[in-house]
Amino acid sequence: MHEAVASPTPSIHAAGISAPAPRRRDLVLLVIGGALPVASGRLVLALTPLPLHESINVPSQVGVSVEAAVWIGALLLSYRRAPKQPFWKLILAFLWTDQIWLLGYIPTSLTWTLGEAFSAVHDAVSAHLLIAYPTGWLVGRFDRRLVGFVYVFVLATSLIGHAVWQPEWVGVDCVGFCPNNLLLISRNDTLERLVDLGSTAFIPFLAVGVIAAVVRHWRAATPAARRVLWPVLIATPLVATLTTLWYLALDFGWLVVTDVLAGQLLLFVDFIIPTGVIAGMLRSSLHRSSVADLAVELGGGVPIGSLRASLARTLRDPTLEIAFPSVAGGGLVDPAGHPFSLPSPGTGRVVARLEREGELLGVLVHDAVISDEDPGLVEAVTSVARLALENERLAAQVRAQLEEVRASRQRIVEAGDAERRRVERDLHDGAQQRLVALAMRLEQARGASADAQDLIDATTTELGAAIAEVRQLARGLHPPILTEAGLRAAVESLAERTPIPVEVEGSGERHAATVEATAYFVVAEALTNIARHANASHATVSIRTSGDDLAVEIRDDGRGGADPAGGSGLSGLRDRVAAIGGSLVVHSPEGGGTSVLATIPLAADGG
Amino acid sequence: MTRVVLADDAVLLREALAAGLATAGFEVIGQAGDVDGLLRLVEADLPDVVVVDVRMPPTHTTEGLEAARALRSRHPRLGVLVLSQYVETRYAVELIRDDPSGIGYLLKDRVAKLDDLADAVRRVAAGGSVIDPEVVARLLGRPRRHSPLDELTPREREILGLMAEGRSNQGIADRLVLELKTIEGHVRQIFSKLDLEPSSEDHRRVLAVLTFLKPG
Repeated sequence: MHEAVASPTPSIHAAGISAPAPRRRDLVLLVIGGALPVASGRLVLALTPLPLHESINVPSQVGVSVEAAVWIGALLLSYRRAPKQPFWKLILAFLWTDQIWLLGYIPTSLTWTLGEAFSAVHDAVSAHLLIAYPTGWLVGRFDRRLVGFVYVFVLATSLIGHAVWQPEWVGVDCVGFCPNNLLLISRNDTLERLVDLGSTAFIPFLAVGVIAAVVRHWRAATPAARRVLWPVLIATPLVATLTTLWYLALDFGWLVVTDVLAGQLLLFVDFIIPTGVIAGMLRSSLHRSSVADLAVELGGGVPIGSLRASLARTLRDPTLEIAFPSVAGGGLVDPAGHPFSLPSPGTGRVVARLEREGELLGVLVHDAVISDEDPGLVEAVTSVARLALENERLAAQVRAQLEEVRASRQRIVEAGDAERRRVERDLHDGAQQRLVALAMRLEQARGASADAQDLIDATTTELGAAIAEVRQLARGLHPPILTEAGLRAAVESLAERTPIPVEVEGSGERHAATVEATAYFVVAEALTNIARHANASHATVSIRTSGDDLAVEIRDDGRGGADPAGGSGLSGLRDRVAAIGGSLVVHSPEGGGTSVLATIPLAADGG
Repeated sequence: MTRVVLADDAVLLREALAAGLATAGFEVIGQAGDVDGLLRLVEADLPDVVVVDVRMPPTHTTEGLEAARALRSRHPRLGVLVLSQYVETRYAVELIRDDPSGIGYLLKDRVAKLDDLADAVRRVAAGGSVIDPEVVARLLGRPRRHSPLDELTPREREILGLMAEGRSNQGIADRLVLELKTIEGHVRQIFSKLDLEPSSEDHRRVLAVLTFLKPG
């Protein structure tokens, strides 16, 4: 309903299905209100002295009554669908104005004049009804101006016409009553004819305006809204065209069909609009039966993660989203565990909150049209889906936690890498430089002091060993060549240091720092293992990208039988690879060599 | 007297280097802590040799190497000795590939031995090539499957290593305490076994040997 659109977060409480069922008394009153004008009209005709209504035949009276019945059906449907929307009032207005012309049969000059002058208002109400469909509200300047203009146009032409027109009763038997035109100011046949033809000639433009308004609604509508709109989208041009042709034919004397045929055609036209309205209204009520289907579907058990699709199907809103409060506090998460933000007001999206004893269980974000056209539907759906929503909520929260753990694991790896680089830099800039400088000074001292020669020699040797050790340590933490020249170059450098021949295959393509570092440490560990345990004569390192992954494989022709589970230092690396979303597979049959395959997603930051 | 400019962001080490080079009889005409400073010093007063650290500000990666290349393209006769914290054969080979004369790549640890440092600066100043023995050891020691290197005698391997370090036949003869003629015979033998074109110029020979040892 309209109020729900205005408020960004209407609350749905756990009271169960509370679709507002209209009271029987209201419906009875509506039927009476809708049937009264048409019944009065028939009564007037029945009581009128014969000659005046001799052209009125029985089949057309039956047709008129059936048409009224169809309209009353449309009236009840639109009231039941949205009693707070004024569309049903427009239908009532349509039914009442439809009988104004029959006032002319009541034998007083006043009623005759009213019936003559105001029967055309019905045409304006028809246009109003089509443009205001399905809510009854006129939204937007175009619609309001167009409808206002139609009313003014219809009334003005009718009143001006009647101000200059005097009916001629000569040759017509008034049967005791020849009414006077009470609106007559001064008879002017030329002006009367001019107004009549002028207004008729203008009708096609009004028809185009009404069609344009309906087409505009259609184009601006969401898929959900179009479901309700399309019967009227079809009915409007049909009715507008046929009505226009009718008037043109009548006033310009183009009528080529017989009166009877024309009467049947008009009756057919009269059925088009109420049929379209009923079809549209029924399409929105069809939801209700799908709520029952949803209950059956959920009763059979819905797999976690597919609830959204089920609800979207039931509400016929493919854009439906569901979200749950995050366990981490604060925000919302979607069923996959990703952060979810609510739509801002004015985007045509409505947020329905699902609460239990004041605690938020979840939210449904749907097209505003869904609650516009059937305010009780979302409540009905959420009530039915409550248990499934709770399950989905718990699953979403667990997923969100997993996602958080995965992200933090990756952050830890990245922080570790950064720390290793920092320590390497510190060692390089600090300890190593100092030690080398110290060695140089000592070397200079050698020349100066002949006595301490042996001591200085020993110290120099020690110092040299210390320098080499620090260098190895620093390089092991993070080889600068990895950052500078990439994985392939760094692996080449590793291969040179390995005591058996190592062939390196693959391109020198660069990747994200975490990806390169992880792959590098896998290769380093695998080559160390090969050198220590494998008893191999040859090894191959292959680096290639396959799809969105970097695949690094280290194979040897050694004795195999390595325990893939651990002890090799590879188990720690397995965790590291997994932390950035990759996998590490060790294949080591007894006597058949060992292969270590690491598959690392290239987009190791983020997803 | 050979004029030297030093570039290293580690002040302590740079000062020690300067003192050592002065002791060894070089004239240190300038010191810089970064690449910009080095380029300014060289442009202001062209030295015979620059000694430059690979890692310098701002990124502490390979600024020194890039500065060495830039200086060489502007001053082809300028001797450049690059000091590196780690042995990366790739950098050594890349450095001398363009033009091996007057170029050196030395492991930083090496400078603790003043004689080695002074020898390297002198050879670079004279237009020779200097490759750190550890780089050569790594290249020669890299295990290979079916290589012509397998056919070399231990003595020939030793001489090949000294050639790769950039030493002349005379230098090798002095080092191994052998006759020059003997060395020349070994060198011919080595080149024939490795199927390399004999080269009369020492620094061309270095390039040929290094390229053989590290293809690509």
